[in-house]
Amino acid sequence: MKIATQRFDDNPCRPRHFKPPPCVAIIPDGPAKQTLEACHTRLLVTGGLFALVFAVVALRVVEIVAVGGGTAESQIARFRIVTPPEPSHADIVDRNGNVLATTLDSPSLYANPKQILDATEAANKLVSVFPTLGVAEVFAKLISSKSFVWIRRHLTPAEQYNVNQLGIPGLEFEHEERRVYPDGGLTSHVVGYAGIDNAGFAGVERGLDAVLRGRREPLQLSLDLRLQYILHEELQRVIDDFTAKGGAGLIMDVNSGEILAMASLPDFDPNHPTAPDPEHPAVALADRMFNRVTLGVYELGSIFKIFTVAMALDYGTATVTSTYDASHPIRIGRFTISDYHGKHRVLSVPEILMYSSNIGAARMAVAAGAQMQREFLTRLGLLETPKIEISEVGTPHYPAKWREVNVMTIAFGHGISVTPLSFATAAAALVNGGILRQATLLKLPAGYEPRGQRVISAKTSEQMRKLMRLVVEHGTGTMAAAPGYVVGGKTGTADKVSGRHYAERKLLSSFVGVFPINDPKYLILTMVDEPHPNKQSHGYATAGWTVAPATSRIIERIAPLLGVQPLDESSPEVQRALMVESLQGKRIEAY
Amino acid sequence: MIKLSTLFWLVLVSTTGFAMFAVKYGVQSLEDELNRTKRATIAEEHAIRADEAEWAYLTRPETLDEINRRHLALGPITTKQLRTSVIDIPLRAAAPVVVDAPVVAVAEQPAESAPPAIPASTIAPALLEKQAEVVELARPAPTKVMAKPVPSRRPKSLDELIAQVVANR
Repeated sequence: MKIATQRFDDNPCRPRHFKPPPCVAIIPDGPAKQTLEACHTRLLVTGGLFALVFAVVALRVVEIVAVGGGTAESQIARFRIVTPPEPSHADIVDRNGNVLATTLDSPSLYANPKQILDATEAANKLVSVFPTLGVAEVFAKLISSKSFVWIRRHLTPAEQYNVNQLGIPGLEFEHEERRVYPDGGLTSHVVGYAGIDNAGFAGVERGLDAVLRGRREPLQLSLDLRLQYILHEELQRVIDDFTAKGGAGLIMDVNSGEILAMASLPDFDPNHPTAPDPEHPAVALADRMFNRVTLGVYELGSIFKIFTVAMALDYGTATVTSTYDASHPIRIGRFTISDYHGKHRVLSVPEILMYSSNIGAARMAVAAGAQMQREFLTRLGLLETPKIEISEVGTPHYPAKWREVNVMTIAFGHGISVTPLSFATAAAALVNGGILRQATLLKLPAGYEPRGQRVISAKTSEQMRKLMRLVVEHGTGTMAAAPGYVVGGKTGTADKVSGRHYAERKLLSSFVGVFPINDPKYLILTMVDEPHPNKQSHGYATAGWTVAPATSRIIERIAPLLGVQPLDESSPEVQRALMVESLQGKRIEAY
Repeated sequence: MIKLSTLFWLVLVSTTGFAMFAVKYGVQSLEDELNRTKRATIAEEHAIRADEAEWAYLTRPETLDEINRRHLALGPITTKQLRTSVIDIPLRAAAPVVVDAPVVAVAEQPAESAPPAIPASTIAPALLEKQAEVVELARPAPTKVMAKPVPSRRPKSLDELIAQVVANR
């Protein structure tokens, strides 16, 4: 441009008035044109680049704002969403909602040995807070090559405060969950206990571990804490009164199979399962942990006679009016079967049960035969391991070959060992109308009766109720009576086996009671191991003097809680419902 | 024209951008609040658990039994206390209301013969038998007494009804 203007202006021959027109197309030529084009291209490229960068920035802004990002830095900038912790183990509650087991947070102390500056000092300081720890043990942990060692699990808030006060670097707290059993030993054998990582070790905690894990709602057991306490207390009283080795008992709803209370004594504190019992330090841990109701198998003795009588009545090998000669002891092989308080005469079926005649029961069973007896006991589930929600279950012992002598002894509960749980389940079936229902520790809906299996006819069941009432009214179980609650039952005093012989002085006294027997609702089985006679019992330690009175006390205490209306036992309706025709008008001899 | 549309888009873009940022920050602060609430809920749940465990511990049957023994000395309900049902409680003598003669006779009978609630076990069985008879007699009495006056004088309020019932007892 400059060149062109210069060229016109510089033209010396141009006329003065002539000015070149300003809009004349100047077409650069040569190097000028090249320079211009280069500038133009550079401008375009630079502009394009800027536009691209801005576009990228704009897109990124839109992405961050609208889409919400997704890259690492945007995640960090954002707040972490708090999620409630996964439920570890569900609570266990009784049928009324009382907490039996719950999970609580508790801090645990661990160390990172790599950060510990002075292990000796730290160990000494820690032992001053936890006197039960050994200095050497703590020191060894603190100098180990790991970067994580547990010092102590589950601290109390006070201990945590004290450790913080020490101000040792390298010590850290980890929040852990811990199972807590507010009722302690009261429900120990049912609820069981969980180990340090909440793994179930016994009872429901073990048997239903999979159910409890990852469940939010509490697990409701069939247990009633009030009944459990009463049963526990009365059993303990019997054990103390008769200086016995142990005891066991259970309360069951005969129509649904729910277990309302189950106790085995001596017991343990599930919060400190391995700690010795402060009241009875001599009792071995294994003995306290042993569940006598579900795991222990016992020769229960005369309470088994109810099965013998039920078998004979149901198969029709005997009727209520049948009689058996019980005047002389039976000698078979090296055994002599005799009666404890023999009447030495011919006894009728009700009398055999009332006076608990071993001879009579043995003769009744022999009349039915081995095959029938075995078949009947199998039907009642007495020859198989009981099924229940806890895994501590005992397998019954019975003869592989069912000889005549076995038939006789099994008739009165010797030579066969079953768990008290199996016994109670079978006994419930005898009185509830003849339906065998599996025992359960889980609460069933009110009024729900699970499907069972008919094992005896309704008529036999009714006869059994009448006969069991006679035992409490006139027979060996008179002390189990709880006026108004129409108790029926059967006593059993077994000689314990020691080695290959029966020990005379070592007894196992048990009582099975049902109330109200005219319309059975609840069954109570109590058992006391090796009771010793005392002054009040006039030298007796048999069931009639030990567990029968306890059953009476238990019934009188629990019946109002269970809403059982007391009846006038002498009223015509009750009398009619429990009348045994064959004994009408006869004088019943006292036991 | 071009300038107007440019302005429109400019305003639209800036408004949208502002709204977007406002929503984003609003959501963030809400999320913060949600997290705070969730944390507080979790803490509260833990506290409730601890309290429930403590409550269960403090109301153990063992503890309650001991406290009862110390302060109340309540015993289990005995059969004597439960023997009488509501029906067995004798009715009070009928007030001198003008009613038919046989009704009065039936209504007054329990008042004459039935003793106040005597512990049942202390009574001889024969006496108990007799009491049962009286109860049988007394049972239809309230319906009979109620049946007569009710149709004639319908209660207008609950108070009146109660007053009538009291008068008839």
